[in-house]
Amino acid sequence: MSDALEIRDLHVRFHTRRGLYRALNGVNLRLARGEVLGIAGESGCGKTTMGLGVMSLLPRNASYPQGQVVFDNKDLVNLPREYSERVGDRFSPKQNERILRRVSKAMAPIRGRRISMVFQEPMTSLNPVLPIGFQVGESIYVHDPAQLARRVLARSKATPELTRELVSLLAATHGDETSVRKFAAEHDLAGIEEQALFVWSRGDIHISRKEKAIRALSGQPMNFVERWIIDTVVRARSIPWYLSRIPILSRIVRRVLMREGNRKARELLTSLGIHHAERVVRMFPHELSGGMRQRVVIAIALANNPEIVIMDEPTSAVDVTVQAQILELVKRIRTSVSASFIVISHDLAVLAEVCDRIAIMYAGRIVEVAPTDEILHKPLHPYTQMLISAIPTLEGKPVEGIQGDVPDMRAVPSGCAFHPRCPFAFEKCREVIPTDLPHGSDQLVACWLYEGK
Amino acid sequence: MATVTESKARFDELRLSGKVFLSNKTAVVGLAIFLVFIGDAFLVQVAPGVLGVQYPDSVVPPQFTQTNPECVGTAPEAPSFNHLFGTIQYGLSGIGCLDLLQLVMKAIRIDVAISFFIVLVGAAIGTVVGVVSGYFGRWLDEAMMRVTDVFFSVPFLILALAVGFVIGRTLVNMALALIIIWWPLYARYGRSLTLSTKEATFIESARAAGSGRLKIIFRHIMPNVLPPVLVQISLDVGTVILIFSTLAFIGFLPSNALVPELGAIASIGLDFVALGDWWPVIIPGAVITMFSLAVNLMGDGLRDVIDPRRRS
Amino acid sequence: MMIAAYGLSKFFPIRGAFRSTASLKAVDDVGLKIQNEQVVGLVGESGSGKSTVGRCLIRLLNPTDGEVLFDIPDSELAEYEKARAAAATERLDAIADRFSLLRRSSSELRPLRRLANIVFQDPYSSLNPRMRLADIISEPMLSTQFCSRAEAGIRARELLHEVGLPEFFEDRYPHELSGGQRQRVAIARAISTNPKLLILDEPTSALDVSVQAQILNLLRGLQQKYGISMLLITHNIAVVAYLAEYVYVMYAGKIMEWGDKRKVLRDPQHPYTKALMSSVPVIGETMTRTVLRGDPPNLVVPPLACRFHPRCPVAFEVCGWSADEVVEDLEYLLAGKYYGTFGDGVHVATEGDRTIVVQGTTDAQRISELVAREQEEIRSLKGIKAVDVTADATLIHLHEPIEPDMYPSTDGREVKCLLFRTGALVPAATS
Ligand SMILES: Nc1ncnc2c1ncn2[C@@H]1O[C@H](COP(=O)(O)OP(=O)(O)O)[C@@H](O)[C@H]1O
Ligand SMILES: Nc1ncnc2c1ncn2[C@@H]1O[C@H](COP(=O)(O)OP(=O)(O)O)[C@@H](O)[C@H]1O
Ligand code: SF4
Ligand code: SF4
Ligand SMILES: [Mg+2]
Ligand SMILES: [Mg+2]
Repeated sequence: MSDALEIRDLHVRFHTRRGLYRALNGVNLRLARGEVLGIAGESGCGKTTMGLGVMSLLPRNASYPQGQVVFDNKDLVNLPREYSERVGDRFSPKQNERILRRVSKAMAPIRGRRISMVFQEPMTSLNPVLPIGFQVGESIYVHDPAQLARRVLARSKATPELTRELVSLLAATHGDETSVRKFAAEHDLAGIEEQALFVWSRGDIHISRKEKAIRALSGQPMNFVERWIIDTVVRARSIPWYLSRIPILSRIVRRVLMREGNRKARELLTSLGIHHAERVVRMFPHELSGGMRQRVVIAIALANNPEIVIMDEPTSAVDVTVQAQILELVKRIRTSVSASFIVISHDLAVLAEVCDRIAIMYAGRIVEVAPTDEILHKPLHPYTQMLISAIPTLEGKPVEGIQGDVPDMRAVPSGCAFHPRCPFAFEKCREVIPTDLPHGSDQLVACWLYEGK
Repeated sequence: MATVTESKARFDELRLSGKVFLSNKTAVVGLAIFLVFIGDAFLVQVAPGVLGVQYPDSVVPPQFTQTNPECVGTAPEAPSFNHLFGTIQYGLSGIGCLDLLQLVMKAIRIDVAISFFIVLVGAAIGTVVGVVSGYFGRWLDEAMMRVTDVFFSVPFLILALAVGFVIGRTLVNMALALIIIWWPLYARYGRSLTLSTKEATFIESARAAGSGRLKIIFRHIMPNVLPPVLVQISLDVGTVILIFSTLAFIGFLPSNALVPELGAIASIGLDFVALGDWWPVIIPGAVITMFSLAVNLMGDGLRDVIDPRRRS
Repeated sequence: MMIAAYGLSKFFPIRGAFRSTASLKAVDDVGLKIQNEQVVGLVGESGSGKSTVGRCLIRLLNPTDGEVLFDIPDSELAEYEKARAAAATERLDAIADRFSLLRRSSSELRPLRRLANIVFQDPYSSLNPRMRLADIISEPMLSTQFCSRAEAGIRARELLHEVGLPEFFEDRYPHELSGGQRQRVAIARAISTNPKLLILDEPTSALDVSVQAQILNLLRGLQQKYGISMLLITHNIAVVAYLAEYVYVMYAGKIMEWGDKRKVLRDPQHPYTKALMSSVPVIGETMTRTVLRGDPPNLVVPPLACRFHPRCPVAFEVCGWSADEVVEDLEYLLAGKYYGTFGDGVHVATEGDRTIVVQGTTDAQRISELVAREQEEIRSLKGIKAVDVTADATLIHLHEPIEPDMYPSTDGREVKCLLFRTGALVPAATS
């Protein structure tokens, strides 16, 4: 199977008055389908920059002098890289902003829809003056309005007989997803399956209530205008220009679809373990606790069934007990959705819990990648080893700090960037940048100690 | 080696400040104009002869009528090569042949000095009051803020006029009147800066170290409050000169005071506008505007310098 | 004893509240002791009141209530505790007058500031950006007249060296330093007057693990070298495991458990400590954890009796269930999970503090059954004492809650949980 995402030799620089920050210096990374990949490293090593870089969401003072981000056989950073190559040192943030606007257009079908991101600061990624339900709903409305229209259409087409059949099918197959999908396809009811499955999977209500709820999925009343709008959106798979530009009509379209968006928001939040979702969708971000907010942000990221979800420090702003809730949630959703995940954290223990593989980043490069067990139990790179021995444990084992500080990204040390802090450094380390050396079947390490082994 | 890297680091900070300021082109223009004004004021003060200025404190040289009787009643002359800014007549039936350029050069010294005086004194009083009330809070703060409210609720021109008529209309009293209306602005600003600085952990840390209140105010709060106040001062000098000369223009200074002040000069020139003589009003007005604008532009540049976001 | 606090409380008045009497009970009746040369950890989630305790202990905040005795000989302390138990006010006052920090005027407090200092979490805001490091480090020495200005300058340089920074840093400003270096400066400053007690408020929470390890080792070295007593406040339990000997666990303004670090961390007794410990991700271990439901409570109107009861997985009859809490869960059961049995038309409401009325059904039998069936899962149902019927409704009576106290447990530990109450009204065996 091909990779979900491949990052090749990605370089990113920030142009500031204080100097040129070489935030990424040749990142190579593959994300397999269905995999959860962790990125760990000290603060300032470029983790967030990499996540934002994949989404082309870096600010205008960022240039991409080299590298590719390959998703679905397309290079996502093609445009800004060409610009950076063309101007070289005469990079201008103002011009880059124009390029970025083009990039945004090109990325529209991907960003938030096929690749989505949970940002480091849960508070800043939510709008403080809009209710939660609106924000979750809108993220679907903006990226995939046809999904909402399909759901409404399916309900209007479903007859009481069909929904009763659906109930018995669910009961007979114990909520088997594929058979429900088949049923929906056969009866031309695409959009009903996720609604039915959602109700069926709810643990908090009685079976008879579930049945009632599923039977209520039939015969959605619609007036003539609504039906026309919904039909059009479903057929066009998006909102055609005449529905989104004509003043009054566009209001109606928005109202109809956002109502459904709110409904979907309730489903999503419930499935992420939020009780009383119907109350929560009416609340504003500041009324929620840190853990709830994080769930809402995750809900937004998952709203459009993306192929890749990037989570930047999803638990850094919350307490351990809430962190435990979020970790359990991430473990659960990774089995229930088909997406691949990149989880960024400075805490290896957090990554150890949810990740299949972990990549260690230092000074804008990946210095080691390996399956979680390997990284933790037989780390190869000196940095990884020292990072692990710096973590205090509940047994109170002695910890060892890494001497020195993280490097100034304006003057990244030559050769192996870790050499000023590395106890094993030798001549070559100071001069030549280590290449990724394979070790065993699935471990890569960028350290000269392992050359020729 | 240590000291070398030390001074280099310090120098880098300065250079960065310079870079930030210089990258704001309009601020540089403002600075240039400002320096011209300051240079003029300085020269008139220490060596007026260099600029050909005589009797810098007075519009009309003493015994002028005796030495130049031909100038009495002479009509103003339009700008020419001899008199770049033209000449004016002081008073309708008064003394003519007064070179406007010279007058303006004299007036700049007075205006710049007075407006700096007003703003600095006002800022000093206001900042101290603001910092003290912001730091101690409670009833003191409440009382201070009500006092400043009173000043804010009265239109400041009217207030200044009222003060002026109570304490007498002279140049110094005019400055005092403006100080009285100006300090509350700084009290407010100083207070809000203090309130945000007070929340910083280093203040708590100072208390834990056993530092007394005075020490905390002077060692910790003041140094953090002053830079933004200084920027505000540089912005306000321009505003104050406008208000100040407006007051003079509308007749706050009695016309027999003979003070070379831009507003007063423009006000004299007003008498001739009806005769079609534009320069006695427009030129002093333009000079005031230019100074005020220049100082504002420069202040914007300074604000960038102390704004950490602009520094990155 | 270095410091001992009794019944320490801090209520923050809420500004703009409808009733001005409302307050946020950040710290409520906390007792805490630190022996000479001992490192004591104070752990808990953010907002549980740890920093407030730390600040009250050295009077950066004035507590609402309670007593703090500083640097008191053990014999006097024993005397004080005896007097406290006997409620002998005069004797209490006599001892407190000599050792209480709360009875010191601010001028009396100043020399005492030499003996205790604090290091804060955020190394970016805890150093004045406009002061040179030498001045930052000298400040405590000069303010408490510990030594002359000239001596302070020399000592500042020594201290820089002591915390592992080059001496030429004395002329630098904080912004020229990395986070770890700043925290070293904050430590140098805090130990400059040779204090006997150091409060460390999340000293490493803003740092990377690699730097955190350096700082932890520095602190441990200083502690061993100078025998400083330390209160280590942190939400990171592993940090406590590394440095502390004793640990206090705090939740929602109350101490929940305290005892020897090894015992508390390895074999937690209090249900909250258990959940907390199982929440900590441990490298190389896949464990089944107790995931707590919900979030920490609102401290303006804290939960009745045991503040942990809404989230406690083993909460039982008398833990503090209010009628509102039980109504919420009953409503969900009758209208949701048991909708098939009861159908529409059931309405649940409170009637006074301890009684609930269920309109629309008189089937007390069924309700009792489902309460019995569900109460292991839905703990609030444990609060139901009896189910009665009237003509057209069902009446539900609740148990009276009991305020938990610190109860002794094994190994000299103390636990604030009713399960450890000897002669409990309701046997702990129910859970
Ligand atoms: N907008 C920006 N402008 C300038 N430099 C930046 C910007 N964003 C990040 N950097 C720099 O890039 C480097 C990597 O930052 P980041 O990706 O945020 O690290 P991490 O997420 O691993 O903590 C840092 O040295 C940081 O200073
Ligand atoms: N100065 C204050 N005014 C009002 N509330 C405060 C103040 N300081 C802390 N609090 C509140 O007290 C509670 C405990 O805070 P804190 O002691 O900082 O907890 P922790 O250090 O455990 O995170 C929090 O709910 C916080 O909002
Ligand atoms: S390449 Fe050299 S300096 Fe870098 S980690 Fe390996 S041994 Fe250390
Ligand atoms: S008293 Fe004990 S059992 Fe009861 S709620 Fe509190 S912690 Fe749980
Ligand atoms: Mg980051
Ligand atoms: Mg705290």
